[in-house]
Amino acid sequence: MAQSEINDDTKNTDEPRIGVFICECGVNIGGVIDCHAVADYAGTLPDVIRSSVNKYTCSDSGQSEIKQAIKDNNLNRVLVAACTPKTHEPIFRACVEEAGLNPYLFEFVNIREHCSWIHMQEKEAATEKACELVRMGVSRASKLEPLQSNEVPVTNTALVIGAGVAGMQSALDIADMGYKVYLVEKNPSIGGKMAQLDKTFPTNDCSICILGPKMVEVARNKNIELMTYSEVEEVDGYVGNFKVKVRHKARYVDVNTCTGCGLCVEKCPVEVPNTEFNEGIGTRKAIYVPFPQAVPLRAVIDKSVCIDCGACSRACSSNSIIMEQEDTFSELDIGVIVVTAGFDVYDPEPTHDFGYGLYDNVITGMELERLINASGPTMGKVVRPSDVKPPKKVGFIQCVGSRDKKRNRYCSSFCCMYALKDAQLIREKYPDSEVYIMYMDMRTPFRNYEEFYDRARDMGIRFIRGKPGKVTENEDNGLKVRVEDTLTNDIIDLDLDLLVLSVGAVSSESTERIRQILKVSRAADGFLMEAHPKLKPVDTTLDGIFIGGVSQGPKDIPYSVSQGSACAARATRYLAQGKAITEGITVEVNPDICVACGICVPMCPFQALSIEDGKLNIIKALCKGCGTCAVACPTGALQQNHFRNDQLLAQVKNVFTFEE
Amino acid sequence: MDEMTGENININEQLKEASTNALRCMQCGVCSSSCPSGRHTSLNIRKLVKIAGRSSDILKSDELWMCTTCYNCQERCPRGIDIVDTILKIRSISAYHNIILPEHRAVCQMLLKYGHAVPINDDYKIKRTEMGLEELPETVHKYTDSLNEVKELLTSCGFERFTEDNTDENKTMENTA
Repeated sequence: MAQSEINDDTKNTDEPRIGVFICECGVNIGGVIDCHAVADYAGTLPDVIRSSVNKYTCSDSGQSEIKQAIKDNNLNRVLVAACTPKTHEPIFRACVEEAGLNPYLFEFVNIREHCSWIHMQEKEAATEKACELVRMGVSRASKLEPLQSNEVPVTNTALVIGAGVAGMQSALDIADMGYKVYLVEKNPSIGGKMAQLDKTFPTNDCSICILGPKMVEVARNKNIELMTYSEVEEVDGYVGNFKVKVRHKARYVDVNTCTGCGLCVEKCPVEVPNTEFNEGIGTRKAIYVPFPQAVPLRAVIDKSVCIDCGACSRACSSNSIIMEQEDTFSELDIGVIVVTAGFDVYDPEPTHDFGYGLYDNVITGMELERLINASGPTMGKVVRPSDVKPPKKVGFIQCVGSRDKKRNRYCSSFCCMYALKDAQLIREKYPDSEVYIMYMDMRTPFRNYEEFYDRARDMGIRFIRGKPGKVTENEDNGLKVRVEDTLTNDIIDLDLDLLVLSVGAVSSESTERIRQILKVSRAADGFLMEAHPKLKPVDTTLDGIFIGGVSQGPKDIPYSVSQGSACAARATRYLAQGKAITEGITVEVNPDICVACGICVPMCPFQALSIEDGKLNIIKALCKGCGTCAVACPTGALQQNHFRNDQLLAQVKNVFTFEE
Repeated sequence: MDEMTGENININEQLKEASTNALRCMQCGVCSSSCPSGRHTSLNIRKLVKIAGRSSDILKSDELWMCTTCYNCQERCPRGIDIVDTILKIRSISAYHNIILPEHRAVCQMLLKYGHAVPINDDYKIKRTEMGLEELPETVHKYTDSLNEVKELLTSCGFERFTEDNTDENKTMENTA
């Protein structure tokens, strides 16, 4: 590991000379706290050489003032009392570094979130508290010491986990920038959920017609190594230097010689429900090709139902059936990782939402997609499951599994649009049909979506503003839906032939599995957690790991594709630079005190610690400076740089002042 | 009447406090389409949730008393609003301020008179004697001493006020009814 010393200025460790800068942040702080009084008070504190107030310390003029003050007053510590370190600490660290100081000799005190915003009604007390916070900060600042960031080399390969539309986009973008990409997909074909859809909103163009060419592009791209029917098993290492173990599940078919002709499928005597691609509607054989446009177009044997009769083997003209095939493994050296592991469709079966699972003619939106799809089990004919006849009256219920405290609180964001799309398709295919959409709020933001909603109204689709309270089955397997039209206050008993539940998205099991392997955070809704909801939407708190598509939260195709590209752009920054700067705030062990008890080792969330040859070993590049191990250390041998005991105690001691 | 003005302010505050969780309502209509009472009466529970806590007008609405407290709506509410519990709280406030329906008063009078909300009627008395039973069953109704004790208990709680209609609200309500 190469270490570059960013700054080594001995004057930093001389007697502390602290400059204090109080930010008014417009009226955010200045409107509540008397900043000048705080600056005056700071000027009386030990080691403080100068103090001043800025309208906006983070502005160009504010930063220039800091740099000038460092030069003029020979400052060796800088304290800014302003907003949150989360957004502004990097700016000020860079600022003091430009003036020749080690960036870790900067101390940040938050008098906005921690003071002015929460004490808006108590101005005097807020000013007093700001003085106290600054006093504590000054005490700590005088104990700060310079730290060095580490530079680690980056392997110029990327791993993309999940080959839905987001992952494919990400892989293509990284590959086109000239880097090697391993694209791992757990299913036998790439394409994800989009491959199952019939048409796509807001243009109603055929989903597989626009996705198919992209799938082929992925397979053809020389920089992409496609690993289908494969799963990531283990990930070790850190940014730029990940070691990844991938399991390639046995297909029992030689992918190099199989042509996907389907002769084997014809001869196979075992038929089971097609749950993988057709949502359980219709059947597939024990040996099957996932779907006509699959990439790679290769057969796969489902060993859990195969009866080993050998019919496929006899039918295959290229001798591609290998019954004794076993799982194989690859070990990959990876620089950056993109997670686009997708989602599951909400399952209304366990709770029998609106009679789903009890009545044959209640289906989900995804099941309707397969029914209406020309390459689906009914060749695009929409039929009632009970009698296989086309329905005359079709109803959609919106927000099934979403916007409900007892299920999922969030809005799944794409269900309004897909219901509008499917309703239009039904009206187009069957002009005599009546289509109802029962909704609470129709949400159609983004380009051409509102126009799409308009089109649905023009096509005679009927909208009822209300969520049904009751669904019962009639004698003819039709359904009676009781719903209030809340705009007219009428309680309506609606007779329908087919009821479609517009189900939303939930975080998938495979996303959760990958999350646990990578130690990425998860939000309360189960989806992966981004580093910042606005400014770092595809980053994670782990360097070199990025998240995109619906694994990060419900979103539609255009948004997923954008995130795929965003992940690629964020990830390739490391590949282009060939190096990564890791956190300077890491844990330090005092080998004289450490007894190698190992208590700290399992505490580390990042696997940075290990006991080797009776000694504690710290991989600095893995350490994120969280401090968990230092707290657990029974002998005090572990000290977290920048938050050492003496630094924190200096701060704590100065919480209270005692007048003599 | 001065006291009543004070009471009114009190009512609004009490109603507001009782129905804070109804503020979460997004008017989806699951409650109203789940309501068995609403099928046969003028009750629209969604509208009650909408006006709950807004003004004391809710106390004047007959619909406040039409809920059968079956809890269908509360069980299904996607916003997790304690609809029925809120209705019960509002009813308590209403009763506290002596704003109840004439039918409720009749029941209160019965309770004070016989110790039963629904006392035995003449038909049953005749039937009982025909079957060789005593006219009255073994309840407080039969024993004057016990009945007096019940009456004393109720009177000491100020129960008598429910039998008298002396509020403006109720007069208005009866006039419009």
